[in-house]
Amino acid sequence: MTAASMTPAIAPPSPAMDQLTSFFWEGARRHELQILRCQSCGHFRHWPKPICNRCQSTDLVPERVSGRGWVISWTVARQAFHPWFEGRVPYTLGIVELAEEWGLKLVTNLVGASPHHLAIGMGVQVEFVEVADGIVLPAFRPTKRAPRL
Amino acid sequence: MRSRRVAIVGVGNSTIGRSTGLSLEQLSAQACLAAIEDAGIGLLEIDGVAVHVTPWEPLAATQIADLLGLDELAFFSGSFDGPTYATAAINAITAVASGTCDVCLTLRSIKRTGSAPQSRLTDMASAKGNNQFLSPYGALGAIHWAGMMKQRHMEIFGTTDEQFGAYLIAQREFAIRNDEAVFRLPLEMGDYLDSRYVSEPLRLLDCDYPIDSSGAVIFTTEERAKDLRQPAVMVDAWALGTANVGDFYILDELTVGAPFAAARRMWSRTGLTAGDVDVAGVYDGFSIIALQWLEAFGFCGVGESGPFVESGATRAGGSIPVNTDGGACNVGRRHGTNFFIEMTRQLRGQCGDRQIDGAEVAVVSNGAGRLAGCVVLTR
Repeated sequence: MTAASMTPAIAPPSPAMDQLTSFFWEGARRHELQILRCQSCGHFRHWPKPICNRCQSTDLVPERVSGRGWVISWTVARQAFHPWFEGRVPYTLGIVELAEEWGLKLVTNLVGASPHHLAIGMGVQVEFVEVADGIVLPAFRPTKRAPRL
Repeated sequence: MRSRRVAIVGVGNSTIGRSTGLSLEQLSAQACLAAIEDAGIGLLEIDGVAVHVTPWEPLAATQIADLLGLDELAFFSGSFDGPTYATAAINAITAVASGTCDVCLTLRSIKRTGSAPQSRLTDMASAKGNNQFLSPYGALGAIHWAGMMKQRHMEIFGTTDEQFGAYLIAQREFAIRNDEAVFRLPLEMGDYLDSRYVSEPLRLLDCDYPIDSSGAVIFTTEERAKDLRQPAVMVDAWALGTANVGDFYILDELTVGAPFAAARRMWSRTGLTAGDVDVAGVYDGFSIIALQWLEAFGFCGVGESGPFVESGATRAGGSIPVNTDGGACNVGRRHGTNFFIEMTRQLRGQCGDRQIDGAEVAVVSNGAGRLAGCVVLTR
């Protein structure tokens, strides 16, 4: 065994799926974006919680969404705050609002565009990125030019 | 119990430095003793302790009491949920106002290493709860959130990097006159624009400076304050506020958030207005947060903080001098104690070269994003 192979591999921060959130990550592995939806009032709730924060119903079920949305804001991470991201900086983080409902937002990675071409309001579409074995993250890629603000 | 008027009667700092070699308990004890000495109050008169703590640096109010030898507490409170030190201050104010206790010692103690995201790597290896929707993407703390907030402010309102620089230069001008500040060399626009991006467009100099420190403030009744060592600084009004309590990233509007809710509530509780304020201590964990507070307090319009700070409004001689100690970017990451301590000293007239002449009304703020708190102080 070489010295290099004895060095513990650095694992990425990985989602600790639980009873409430496993649908999201299992959906991502099938390349489906699933969001918890209230069966009483139709409100989408992300991040998953066991109760609707609009009508307080506890009847929430995962539903596949379009994966279309737009950019609320973005930032280019230049410094790695975790060893996994050393060698992966710069990477782009974004907040995306999904088309299904006002205020339905995800924190995500924006991929497939130079940061200099990104703009708030730009349309994006989900795509699925396998960052490590079994860890698939819904990320978003710009689909068209930003509207004029 | 009727509501009693509350005063700040003592303030104190520990040794402050990048690596002091002092423990949280040592730092805390230093700050508490300094505040007690400043107030000239008997140790055993203290019957309340309020702290703000983090899960990774737990030091409860009762532990502080034990440290100092306070056995008889009528009030003790320690919370992680809230706008850092302002949580402790406001808990103390409400406890004294309500008669729950008479003299309340408050503090916030921080070790530089304790607040670094790197110290929580084990938490991120398996990201639980809400964090599973953040850290796998590399959204690893407040810095990335602040980068997105700065980006949105710049893109929506046209705020420029030079305007953030102008704000930071103004704060540094005060820090130069504060021998308790860590950064005391003049800051030029070129220095700011050359400082590296941490989370573009957020630059290193947009961030407060991680440091070992403790700050303590003592609150008591107006009545008890009368014959203590220092001129009493009165608490005129206070408020907490929230916005989208679930998370910092998922705000209805990143550039608004809880500071606006807290400030609006605070102004509704006093006859004073933004125009009456002589000096302000606004939370600058990141410079964008300070600009947001200027808008929230109403010193300028929403989205107008960039041109406002560029005009020199926050400098000495400006319409509202801000962070006359230099702010957390220059005195270190104090999580709010520095603003209460500095504004108290301004209203006492103890700020030497950086004293704002005739300062009678001050505001202090803490927090941002989903939770915030603010206080009006008067001479």
